[in-house]
Amino acid sequence: MTTTIELQPVEERGWRMGLANLLRKEMKQWWATRRWLIQSLLWILIINGFMAFVLFVMPIMMERMPDAASERLDIIQAAVSALFQIGMIGTAIGTIILGQDLVLPERQSGISEWILSKPVSRRSYILSKFFANAVSILVTFVGIPCALGYVLFALKLGAPVPLSPYLLGVGAMALHTLFYLNLTLMMNVVAKSRSVVLGIAMGVLFGGMLLPNLVGVTLSSLTPWLLPNLPAGIIPDVNIELSFLMIPLLFTGIWSILFVFIALWKMERLEF
Amino acid sequence: MTNIRESVIETAHLSKVFNEVQALDGLDLRVPQNSIFGFLGPNGAGKSTTIKLLLGLLHPTSGGGSIFGLDISKDGPEIRSRIGYLAQNPSFFPSMTARETLRFVSRFFYRGPEMEIENRIRETLELVGLTEKADRAVGAFSGGEKQRLGIAQAQINHPDLLILDEPAASLDPQGRHDVLDIMESLRENATIFFSTHILDDVQKVSDTVAILNQGKLVAQAPIAELLHGSGSSMYSIVTYGTDVDIQKQISGVPWISSINRESLDGNTHWHVLVNDDEIAQAQLLRLILEDTSTTVTEFGRKKYELEEVFLRIVEESNHDNHN
Repeated sequence: MTTTIELQPVEERGWRMGLANLLRKEMKQWWATRRWLIQSLLWILIINGFMAFVLFVMPIMMERMPDAASERLDIIQAAVSALFQIGMIGTAIGTIILGQDLVLPERQSGISEWILSKPVSRRSYILSKFFANAVSILVTFVGIPCALGYVLFALKLGAPVPLSPYLLGVGAMALHTLFYLNLTLMMNVVAKSRSVVLGIAMGVLFGGMLLPNLVGVTLSSLTPWLLPNLPAGIIPDVNIELSFLMIPLLFTGIWSILFVFIALWKMERLEF
Repeated sequence: MTNIRESVIETAHLSKVFNEVQALDGLDLRVPQNSIFGFLGPNGAGKSTTIKLLLGLLHPTSGGGSIFGLDISKDGPEIRSRIGYLAQNPSFFPSMTARETLRFVSRFFYRGPEMEIENRIRETLELVGLTEKADRAVGAFSGGEKQRLGIAQAQINHPDLLILDEPAASLDPQGRHDVLDIMESLRENATIFFSTHILDDVQKVSDTVAILNQGKLVAQAPIAELLHGSGSSMYSIVTYGTDVDIQKQISGVPWISSINRESLDGNTHWHVLVNDDEIAQAQLLRLILEDTSTTVTEFGRKKYELEEVFLRIVEESNHDNHN
């Protein structure tokens, strides 16, 4: 039996060839499986669990310790740190671990060769990985825990925290996560072994924690390494220079975009 | 009437160097439309390199080529929208089923009613005999099943050109037979360009052949022409008894190049190489039978097998390269 109705050829042309299909497949790996649920629960447990402990359990413990300071602001500051400092470092580690397998195993197993033997542009291949994982990681690692975090702060303070500075902190966390996703994606294209991908991405993360002490704050503000410390000032009663936050945000954004461009440039030159 | 078919693939001085090793050296190839084109060569000859260059998976060091008149270096995705490709060791997502794999591939080519796409997938699975295993994860497939799925995904888009890199290499005899049948069934609507080292398969299905050795094209011709060889023909003659000598009748004849004999099972087997087949056909048997004591039990022109032609050409090429 033969097919009677003519199927229509896809209309994508140029660099967009194959993008929609690849994007659908990448998104399905997150949202048509339990991956999104597992990751969301994991990060809720890590970030919001720690926050809840600081906001609701620590005050009780401190009340039982007469010598300890138990001012309300300190508890809130500790919770902000739990959300943004621990959250940023944690999500960066999670992003690197998940991201190490984005492209390299497909290159090594011949799956990239197979996909690129279809009407697919190399840009589509990389961009589909970037878009699908960026959206999924930002929603599950950052979006959901930060939304819950906002509720936890509101419950503790008895009123919602100002939205704009909170969103700025969430934006910083999102950009920080994106930086490590794009760095790992780029390393997947540039490097030939998983240990190099993992080593360099983790090296940038942990090396960066030490660097501000060595090179000073000015140079560090051209990197994402200051970002985990900055949103601590977003809660009322603590003032922060907005411009001080903006420079690392701007440069983290620039680095993130640059990594995607390097990945695209290198991908065009790879041989399979 | 001369039948000059259009070329689907054309390369001009196509070359590739890997780390100072010349993998492909100035390849000039022409693959006619609707042919089953056998691309032969020993291991490491440059067959897979050529295929990957044609598909845009490798970048040429120099030279270039075109498929359907489009540049292989610039128009890769457009070219590939009309091609089906089976890699030498096909890899698929292990967690996807065969049906999901074909669905994924078909969406690179088509949009349209889901039911029609599913029909196309079902037909393709039937064609390669994977209907029963359509909903099994590919990770659990045997080598032969993966190869069948590879052929299915290569032809899901009903391509104008099918490029198969060693399509029957990992198949059992029945699987090989099936693959050759599938290739035959597709020849009406597509050009098939396939690399292989199984010469028997080439002789069965190909109409044109190219032989690659050490990165260089050493022969390209319709298979009948290649089998006919350089103009010399070998005659095989069996005479009764072991004490017969036909050499006195035929030695010194200018169109005979060489005579070899061997005794076997009480008979004498003669191999006579001639350089003018037309005269040999008319006169050789007559000359032998001039001696009335000679009894000829078998007489015939030896038909060359592709393997012999292949080995001779590769050997000559190796010899030329060493000199």
